[in-house]
Amino acid sequence: MSISRRQFIKTMGSTGLLYAFRFSPEGNPQSKSYEISPLDIGDDSCIAARIDLDYTEWIAFGPNDKVSIFTGRSELGQGLKTVLTAIVTQGLDIPQEKLVVVQGDTAQCPDDGATYGSCSTNQVGWGFWIACEKIRNDMVTRASRTLGISVKDLEYRKGGVGLKGKQDRLISAAELGNGKAVLMTINSQVASVNTRKYNDLGLLNVNARKIVTGKLKYAGDVFVPGVLYAGWLSPPYHRKLTRLRSVDLSAAHSIPGVKMAEVIMGYPAVVADRYSLVLKALKAIKAEWSLPSRPVQLKLEEESREGARFVKDIEKSGNVEAGLATSDFVLSETYTTHYTTQAPMETDTALARLESGGKRATVWAGSQYSYRARGIISQFLKIPENNIRVISMSVGGGFGGKISNPAPGEAALIAQNVGKPVKLIYSRKDQFQWRGRLKEACVVDLTTGTSANGKMLARKIDIIHDHGIGAERTYSIPHVLTRLYKADMPVDHATSRGTSYVQLCFATESHIDMVAAALGMNPVEFRLTNIQYPALGSVLEACAEMIDYPNYQPGPNEGLGIAIVNHGGRQFGAVAAEVFVDRATGRITVKRICGAFDIGTIINHNTTTLGIRGAIIWGIGYVLHEEIKLNGHRTETADLWAYHIPRFSDIPPIEMSFLDYYKEDVPMGCGEMPMVPTIGAIANAVHQAIGVRFTSTPITPEKVKRALQGV
Amino acid sequence: MTKQAFTLNVNGRDYRVSCEPDEPLLWILRDDLKLTGSKFGCGVGVCGACSVLIDGVARRSCCVQVANVSQSHKIITIEGLGTPDNLSPLQKAFVKHTAFGCGFCTPGIIITATALLSRNPYPSRAEIIDALDFNLCRCGSYLNVIEAIESFVREQSERSGE
Repeated sequence: MSISRRQFIKTMGSTGLLYAFRFSPEGNPQSKSYEISPLDIGDDSCIAARIDLDYTEWIAFGPNDKVSIFTGRSELGQGLKTVLTAIVTQGLDIPQEKLVVVQGDTAQCPDDGATYGSCSTNQVGWGFWIACEKIRNDMVTRASRTLGISVKDLEYRKGGVGLKGKQDRLISAAELGNGKAVLMTINSQVASVNTRKYNDLGLLNVNARKIVTGKLKYAGDVFVPGVLYAGWLSPPYHRKLTRLRSVDLSAAHSIPGVKMAEVIMGYPAVVADRYSLVLKALKAIKAEWSLPSRPVQLKLEEESREGARFVKDIEKSGNVEAGLATSDFVLSETYTTHYTTQAPMETDTALARLESGGKRATVWAGSQYSYRARGIISQFLKIPENNIRVISMSVGGGFGGKISNPAPGEAALIAQNVGKPVKLIYSRKDQFQWRGRLKEACVVDLTTGTSANGKMLARKIDIIHDHGIGAERTYSIPHVLTRLYKADMPVDHATSRGTSYVQLCFATESHIDMVAAALGMNPVEFRLTNIQYPALGSVLEACAEMIDYPNYQPGPNEGLGIAIVNHGGRQFGAVAAEVFVDRATGRITVKRICGAFDIGTIINHNTTTLGIRGAIIWGIGYVLHEEIKLNGHRTETADLWAYHIPRFSDIPPIEMSFLDYYKEDVPMGCGEMPMVPTIGAIANAVHQAIGVRFTSTPITPEKVKRALQGV
Repeated sequence: MTKQAFTLNVNGRDYRVSCEPDEPLLWILRDDLKLTGSKFGCGVGVCGACSVLIDGVARRSCCVQVANVSQSHKIITIEGLGTPDNLSPLQKAFVKHTAFGCGFCTPGIIITATALLSRNPYPSRAEIIDALDFNLCRCGSYLNVIEAIESFVREQSERSGE
């Protein structure tokens, strides 16, 4: 959005100081300067253009020492609001009650990208920390000019400036600014040298009191006068496989309270004055669906290979064929992974209200990217983006799926059709069967060649799937070829916690153990021999020590496995898992998890611990329990009974430790990375427990029983 | 079916609502009474996000028909246990132990834990897990929840021992 003089004054009163800045974590280390260029807020066009284009985070100092920060990134439960509060209150030395954090509202916040990829703390949070340092310096300079006192006699003090060595403050930020905006560009390399040391003060979640009393507002908790409720009649098939052939809406129309029953965007939708009537009317509708002739997904591997086309070489170094030819030992294996979905506790929900005779709209949604939702609403309603306001409320879990939450656009379209405000609520069945945004299944063909003494010489990986791929160097190998093939599976994909590191790391970390075993080497020792980065070695050694790897003595049907990950080149992790396998039932119990992680500065341990525990629990769910089953055309998994997300009884004790090999100040985030090695560690532990190597996920009780019966 | 009038006793207060007798309690709490702490997570009683106390027992309000809980039944929702400025001791323990991620499932978990603690003031870890096993939390706050309840139980037992 663009900020105008009116909005500026509305935010801060007649006096105030706004800092807008752009943070470049990947910035050019040579440009060791930042620009501060005060602009008179009176020049509307200039400030609007510059802020819109270049300056992606804002801090505003208003009257009464109120400080407001603005970011388009949403609160998803990852604790961003708490993290930003910790950073800015410490960075500006202000009390928590003076800080207002405004998130995810397109009418107030800049477009600083989607909330995903464990990068908000790193990109947005650390930007604010560095900005705080620059702001302190800038205020002192301004105060010196305004007060005619030498800079060396002044210091920053609690949202203003005072005389050095004195307690009281001479001037507040708002008085200093008096309607000015300051634009800054910040580069992390510059700033990390200059800034003070951040201290983790153990802040409790800033939303906590609202959460435990049911007062935190999610999209479904918003009401506007005259609101109606809406729902879709969804088919038991994925939307890419089916079309509505015929529908009889008459029974729905005859239900008192039903305001609309129509086919919109190819699907029957119902609007009623009570949500329970929506559900009743949907049940009364008779619909027939047409299906394509080709059934899908009976055999994932064959389906994927069929028609897969080469996309690109992800990595190519040396000569992999020559490397394999000269290796003393070569092992090839194929790994397959399955479909899962994000399954946040809050289903896709949005409330849309059209205003000014349909020329404007406000939409409240659970969204990981309000600006993307705004773009889609604009297309659907055919009104300009600037006339649409999207407010992302607290999100009841996103995990990647709510970057492309369909509800905001659809709610707006239905509201336009019915001419009243509409709250659209997706059922769990809609979410699983029809509009499931799936984590892609994947086939990985992997060949590794080593020397006789266990040095990896060559590795060839062919990855077949139909989404993006994350692959980072974990091992030092001279001859590498990693090729990506794209399969066209008729389902919707979306990013999902752990992204595609999950699939690839399951394959590579399983394979490493197989190669080590064939060479008669200990898996930890084998990894340490071949590791690419010293940080990976330190997390691996720390993790092995935590679980007392050398002295581990498995009981009957027990095993210990370990795996590592290099996530995005800046987060490193090692996870060890102990499991027990019940031979009679095939059930795998995870008894204990230990993890060692290198994620740079930790902003708030309370937030980090929860995030890492959550990611590890996701790893357990992925490898043992969760699966979206497609059978023929039908999505069999329709509710949370069938889709087994981890429960209380599935969770082992989890221990964690933190290392900081690079001694960098920058926090790296951790919401996804620990999930990735958990999967490989459990698969490796199962192998040690029962001597069976599972090369496909999930490792279900049925698969275990089949394998033990030798079928 | 046609709409009928019902009286519901929620958080110690009587409310008159007009709806069909088989309407799930959840939507009346949320849409009529605006008690939105009870959440819709699944609609089939598996996730527990909609849990409320009915005569002291934790029930899934998405699966309870309004006609069965009107008149003499006492319904307590999360809003009836405490307010942000006046938390119950159990809610305080949840705050202290960050026993939630996004918080969507938390009201249901606190309701279920409250019911457990009223019938069994000193539950073991296994009993806590058993009582809460079908309160799902996708953020994975499970260990924090167990820690919060255990610390609450410890404090209760210390207090009663004094």
